[in-house]
Amino acid sequence: MISLTHAPHAHAPMAVGQIMATVMLALVPATLYGFWLYGWPALFLWSVAMATALLTEAASLFLQGRAAKPALLDGSAALTAWLLAVSLPPFAPWWVAAIGSAFAIVIAKQVFGGLGQNVFNPAMAARVMLLISFPVEMTMWAAPLPITSGHAPGFLQSLAITFGGADWANPADGMASASLLGHVKTEFTRGVDLASSLPAHFAAVQGGLMDAAWGNRAGSLGESAGLLLLAGGLFLIVRGVITWHAPVAMLLGVAAPALLAHALSPAHYLGVLPHLLSGGLMLAAFFIATDPVTSPNTPAGMFVFGLLCGLLAWIIRTWGGYPEGVAFAVMLMNSLAPIIDRYVKPRIYGRDRKGKSLQLEAKENAR
Amino acid sequence: MNYARITKDGLWDNNIVFAQILGMCPTMAVTGSATNGLGMGLATTAVLVASNAMVSMVRNVVTPDVRIPVYIVLIATLVTLVDVSLNAWAHDLYKVLGLYIALIVANCAVLGRAEAYAQKVGMLPAAMDGLMMGLGFTFALTLIGGIREVIGGGTLFANAHLLLGPAFAFLETTVIPDYRGYLLFILPPGGFLVLGFLLAGKRILDKRLAQRRVTPVATPEPVAG
Amino acid sequence: MKLEQLREKLGYPGAVLGGIGLLTSGALALADRATLDDIQAAQDLDMKQSLTQVLPGKYENDLLKDTVVMPGPEGGVTVYRARQAGRVVAVVFKVQARGYAGPVVSMMGVDRDGKLLGVRVIKHRETPGLGDKIEPAKSEWIHGFEGRSLGNPVAEKFAVKKDGGVFDQFAGATITPRAVVKSVKGGLAFFAKEKPQLLDEPLVGAGRVRDSGGSRARPAPTANHGASL
Repeated sequence: MISLTHAPHAHAPMAVGQIMATVMLALVPATLYGFWLYGWPALFLWSVAMATALLTEAASLFLQGRAAKPALLDGSAALTAWLLAVSLPPFAPWWVAAIGSAFAIVIAKQVFGGLGQNVFNPAMAARVMLLISFPVEMTMWAAPLPITSGHAPGFLQSLAITFGGADWANPADGMASASLLGHVKTEFTRGVDLASSLPAHFAAVQGGLMDAAWGNRAGSLGESAGLLLLAGGLFLIVRGVITWHAPVAMLLGVAAPALLAHALSPAHYLGVLPHLLSGGLMLAAFFIATDPVTSPNTPAGMFVFGLLCGLLAWIIRTWGGYPEGVAFAVMLMNSLAPIIDRYVKPRIYGRDRKGKSLQLEAKENAR
Repeated sequence: MNYARITKDGLWDNNIVFAQILGMCPTMAVTGSATNGLGMGLATTAVLVASNAMVSMVRNVVTPDVRIPVYIVLIATLVTLVDVSLNAWAHDLYKVLGLYIALIVANCAVLGRAEAYAQKVGMLPAAMDGLMMGLGFTFALTLIGGIREVIGGGTLFANAHLLLGPAFAFLETTVIPDYRGYLLFILPPGGFLVLGFLLAGKRILDKRLAQRRVTPVATPEPVAG
Repeated sequence: MKLEQLREKLGYPGAVLGGIGLLTSGALALADRATLDDIQAAQDLDMKQSLTQVLPGKYENDLLKDTVVMPGPEGGVTVYRARQAGRVVAVVFKVQARGYAGPVVSMMGVDRDGKLLGVRVIKHRETPGLGDKIEPAKSEWIHGFEGRSLGNPVAEKFAVKKDGGVFDQFAGATITPRAVVKSVKGGLAFFAKEKPQLLDEPLVGAGRVRDSGGSRARPAPTANHGASL
């Protein structure tokens, strides 16, 4: 069906499918690095998330009596699954990815009416749901054991980890590790401050902060490959798929309070660099907060949105019960996006910012 | 009075939870398990029957301008009576439900029935309406609680003996043995999700039923069936 | 006068409201009288049940009547004393510590030698399925305290395994068991410090708690730990 409307027509430079494909392309380097760092289990998990998302998307569309093919081909379900997969602990069991993916597609997206209608970012909604429901599985991080290093689990062992519920977290095997934010939070609850807990953490992962910055650190695929995600995000900005406002504001929203608090009391507040490179911040700043459906419509709105996302993430990380707050922050801000749009309105064509019509007719009459 | 109509309204067509969408606070708060839902539903039913009957009783005495305070005083008194009685004579159940009993006052369904129905009719139909609305509420709460309990913890009617006495211990079943639990469904978001899907389910069911009723049965059924 | 005419009067609505208020207050007063004793009895029974859970041994007195209120770390602590032949054989009191989602309150029973008879968590808001394994219905964990005392294990081992101690933690939940262990350890220290008064045997002329501990031929470590905590 072709619907005709009056002018003005906005020209979309890219079709939905093209945008999704570009975003996925930007995710490829980080994901491949993650596969290398965490081996087969990460690949299995990614595949399960992908397959479940496509299946549940097709099933939801079939139940609604809509054509499944165009929706599947536009790649939005695949992108959601991809974003979810790179935010999960790489050694999580298969059903975590399956339940998460199904939740993202069915409850966070299709229940609201499908692509373009959802209030919350589906990948983040699913991640929050998983963290609340399965805190044990969602906080067991694997140590980075590159697939070429010889310590990595073999193919069969990896099958057992992802699909067989094998207990890999035994400290003797050296496969388990703590994420930086998780370690710091646990030590705080014991009354151990950063001055002692940070060196202990880096001693345990055999590397320093710079080593961690380059990706040799425990976390999700997206956490470990923070710098590659940064590169992917810059690629998206250059290609014009996203604008700089939300990512820059979100990084700023975390960095500014971190800088201030760390300067005031280094023993109690993490510094800027660990904050920026930890958890899901890079992933969220460039790939989640920029989701056109669940964020405000104007550049200024995007900036406010990103800034508050970052600030909330820092607050939750610092004082909240969970070590990582990016997903919670993004979801909270998703729900505020319409209010931001209410105050930071785009200028309507033919009217000024306050909504008054431009005085063109008056001029014409005068002429 | 059409008691069949009252019954059908209360249990299904005009169900407090599934059609009027009233009383959401207790619906979300207590439906972590089927037993809690059942207990809360029964307590609310008791209050509904008594409050409807009493509101109907005083309907000719009360003037419109003071009716709301009068109804609220009556309902609050009834709830307090249920509260102290449970505390005294069903203490184990009270320990489970105690926090929520007082919330029945705030359950707008109770005042809603007084306003919408009981103040307009005689005592018997009013009490009947209270009973059926209460049973419909109980059905909804038990259903939501049951679904949340099975998905969230793998059990059904756990601790039923605290509510109904040791004779009902047979109700307590473990649906999924060695279940790891799906916490979301025990926590408040699970209540919203289950309620949402049940509401959608009821709409679909009602639509199907309406279609079947409208479709004329002009063509005779095939003999083989 | 008919009801119709009465309804027209200015004071009528007020009188109705007042009358109904009076009636309902009367009903409530009656209900209060009727249930007061039963509620008290039910609460006492409740209390007794939770007391006996941490007091497996025999005693002869009514625990609820033999209490002493001691200044504790968080305000007054009510201590229930169990006696045999007039001698205090064990005491029960509440302890609490901050858990994951609020205070975790436990009831602990200690015999006169400072040995734990039992611990029960009576109030908590920990995450269902994770932290609630401190309940005996969900896990055997809480029974791990029985027979422990301040010297067994030694102070630095009186902690969860993650902190280098002897008590298990749960997968995914360290904060909750850590809170219980901490509160129990604090309770044992409290017992060691206040022992003579808790046992209702103040030594005549004894100025200091520590002196009484020594003179009662108790192993010295208890008193020392008590002092060091």
